[in-house]
Amino acid sequence: MKQLIRLSVSDFKLIFRDASLRTFLFLPILIFVVVIVVLPLVKNKFEVVAEYIPFVLIVATIEVTQMFGFIYAVMLIEEKEMGVSHVYGVLPISKMGFSLMRQVIPVLITILITWALLMTQPFYNLPFLSTLGFSMLSGLIVPPYALGVSILCKNKMEGLIWVKVFNLIVVIPVIAFFIPPSYTFLFTILPTHWAFQGLNHLILGEAFLLELGIGTVFLIALTALTARLFVQRHYA
Amino acid sequence: MIRVQDLSFTYHGAPERTLKGLNFEIAKGEIFGFLGPSGAGKTTAQKVLYKILNGFEGEVLIEGQPLAQMGKEFFERIGVGFELPNHYLKLTGKENLALFGSFYPKEKMRKTADLFELVGMEDAMDKKVEAYSKGMKMRLNFIRAIMHDPDILFFDEPTAGLDPVNAHKIKAHIVKLKNDGKTIFITTHNMNTADELCDRVAFIVDGELQVTEAPATLKHTHGKHIVRVELTDQQTAEFSLDGLGHNPEFMQFLQKGDVQRINTLEATLEEVFIHITGKALKEL
Repeated sequence: MKQLIRLSVSDFKLIFRDASLRTFLFLPILIFVVVIVVLPLVKNKFEVVAEYIPFVLIVATIEVTQMFGFIYAVMLIEEKEMGVSHVYGVLPISKMGFSLMRQVIPVLITILITWALLMTQPFYNLPFLSTLGFSMLSGLIVPPYALGVSILCKNKMEGLIWVKVFNLIVVIPVIAFFIPPSYTFLFTILPTHWAFQGLNHLILGEAFLLELGIGTVFLIALTALTARLFVQRHYA
Repeated sequence: MIRVQDLSFTYHGAPERTLKGLNFEIAKGEIFGFLGPSGAGKTTAQKVLYKILNGFEGEVLIEGQPLAQMGKEFFERIGVGFELPNHYLKLTGKENLALFGSFYPKEKMRKTADLFELVGMEDAMDKKVEAYSKGMKMRLNFIRAIMHDPDILFFDEPTAGLDPVNAHKIKAHIVKLKNDGKTIFITTHNMNTADELCDRVAFIVDGELQVTEAPATLKHTHGKHIVRVELTDQQTAEFSLDGLGHNPEFMQFLQKGDVQRINTLEATLEEVFIHITGKALKEL
């Protein structure tokens, strides 16, 4: 626990001392303003917007997830670029344990922000625990995102390209809401599809446990896979 | 302390082996040097030994225990001085050491202020590393490697990027570490550094060891066993070292004029390297 706190303090020092990463930390404020202030105004002015509110909320939660995914991906790429990752490679730590432990704080913060966003949005009364469940699912997107981007690139420039690709992959299942139901299976191979569908069901007061369960298992498996590849490639 | 038998290593996807059946031993309290040009396999060999590269063939034993079976406790016993500076640039030197030092047992840690003083950087410990020169970053590399008082030290080009004064400081401290009983494995292509520091050196070219011996022995074996005398009037003569004190020609020559210089003609380590490998370091 002490180690986790110490490591998180260092990570946050690095984030706050980097102007571009620091800016990203303020993204949730912008998202809160859009959802709590701007969206109700738009909805009142344009009635047609009302039926798209669930989709806006879904995209808003995924934006929160992308924030920490992006920040940690950039940090890991910088570590690799500067050779700091090699230093971790010769420390008396379990590389797998360390790689996963490092994701705990960003996951927790993402869960907290997502949960706060869903609980404070003015459109639906969402149940406390179920909302927390979906917030956890959103938080679980951070590790495979950050580790995945870091695995695939050698430097920051490549990293920014992969971030764009990952952002697209993460958001793309939202298309499933706008196509005939018989084609939605195409998106089931993407973990965020389950999060989106489940959250939509939660918002509409429908059954959502299946999507929550599949999404959770999917993301845990993806985290395990990316962590394994990350350990093989990051520290050597 | 360290025994390496038939060590081979191939990088994933590489057409041929980077290390080809290396055999050597390093005794406790010894400074052992791997000499060779860039790409010879020096760093790869070190990486295998400090367990960052797995999947090697052959056997590496640390105090009789197979390296492959050693867990994370092995890393408490080793210190690694990397070839290039690798620090968090946005953190201060002190913060960098505090972060990495936090992974070692507290009782083993040396005092941060003492470490910075050791390399003449006491005024820079609270400055961000991004403001350091390359030499300062290399000195930070060095003190990070020794901060937890490890038994085995790996240094990759330990004096690279350092000015002569600081290079001397680092070399002097490496000798002190050896005198304290630490086992030290250095890789370098700098023959002078190897000559000054190493008890034994091994020449490595294209992943193969050519010879392993003490530098003095190599220089003696491959040098000329003669002494050259130069007088101030430009006259020079060479005499065999055998029975030099009783050589009347040598005595006579000395009396011919004022002596400007007397040198033994032992080979430099670089000359020995060229002689043994048939290649000059700069050609490779």
